[in-house]
Amino acid sequence: MMPVREIVIVATLLGVGTAMAHHSFSPVYDGNRTVTVAGVVTEFRFVNPHAQMALDVTEDSGRVTQWSVEFDGRLNLTNHGWNEDTIKVGERLTVTGNPTHTGSQHMFFNRLERSDGSTLVRGGDRIESIEDERRRRREERRRQTDGSL
Amino acid sequence: MNRVIVRRASQMAAFPLIGLATSAFSQDRPDLTGMYSDPQGLEDFFCSFWCSDAGLERLNELLDDPANDERPIMDVYAEAATFQRDEYMHPNLTEAGAATLGLDPADDPGFLYCEPWGFAREIFAPHQLSLEQHDDRVEMLYGEWTIRRTIWLDGREPAADLAPSSMGFSLGHYEGDTLVVETTHIGANLAPWDGGFFTTNVFDGRHSDSLRAVERYTRSADGQRLILDVTLEDPWALREPIAMKKVWHWAPEQEIAPYEDCERPTEFSRGVNQP
Repeated sequence: MMPVREIVIVATLLGVGTAMAHHSFSPVYDGNRTVTVAGVVTEFRFVNPHAQMALDVTEDSGRVTQWSVEFDGRLNLTNHGWNEDTIKVGERLTVTGNPTHTGSQHMFFNRLERSDGSTLVRGGDRIESIEDERRRRREERRRQTDGSL
Repeated sequence: MNRVIVRRASQMAAFPLIGLATSAFSQDRPDLTGMYSDPQGLEDFFCSFWCSDAGLERLNELLDDPANDERPIMDVYAEAATFQRDEYMHPNLTEAGAATLGLDPADDPGFLYCEPWGFAREIFAPHQLSLEQHDDRVEMLYGEWTIRRTIWLDGREPAADLAPSSMGFSLGHYEGDTLVVETTHIGANLAPWDGGFFTTNVFDGRHSDSLRAVERYTRSADGQRLILDVTLEDPWALREPIAMKKVWHWAPEQEIAPYEDCERPTEFSRGVNQP
């Protein structure tokens, strides 16, 4: 069996949804499903418009298959502090992303976990900062409402 | 950082007596030069591609309603973006403009052929915008597609036979703290007649080569935000001119990298347009 898990989830639970992809995500990828594979990085290209990674995935049978992973644009990733060295050739990663409609060995990046347990999440920092501001605004509103009672 | 008004001493010395007091060459001008990138704040993020007063007002209503406190922020943004599309953009389309809605993302030439965006999409493009002020022009470089654009400040006339082009012909001047840019000669292309960043289609519909734009770029008092207010006018696609906004944040640490690895898709499906 391939080391692949398919999880059907609602797109909105992804947090940063497919709207992030302004280069026509939906004709290629299924935003309602995710797929997870574990493998070794053979290439990481930090390029525009979208960064790319190749991953060798060893099946239980011992057969090695190559997966490719497409990321947000280099411009997006730079905003989140990524650079050419964020992912290194030879690293072992577990990667989760949206699969293609055709089921080919290709995905759009959502999240990765390294051997040491550290993670990288698509758009994570920005959404956290926006949620923090929203939380502060909500608390201020509640204080004002309480004060007016 | 506070906005700085720059008076170019060399310009003043060069034209001391020839009555250019009202020309662009001798005006005080706001310091807009530098690198800007995607906005970060709760409201500004909503304007990552573009937004409108109607959309921002709806967003604030939703954020102030306790019933929405536990909703994912992306849902809230999507509702506000859908509102601005349905209540502001689409009602303003002419019959001809409305007939162009429904772009299949698989048919977007940027996706299919790696064709760079035209003016009406590029001015709302996400990511970096580098702005460089010169005496006679402003140079803009967009991170998306690395499209360069020149805004002439010398009042030149476009050539009588100037053909419409992807980014058009832009003339600018300063009004106080604001760079005002008027653009004509824009070739017919895909348009931003949708709800912006958080709707199914960021862009949808088409404009004609009658499109005219007035952009107003202003930097916030603390220097941290560049705000674009733009009015688009196209009698073929729009009943009335529409007003849109966009925000960038100051990002001097960022660079614009080459945009040379666009590849035409090898596998895709038509008719799939997920939210």
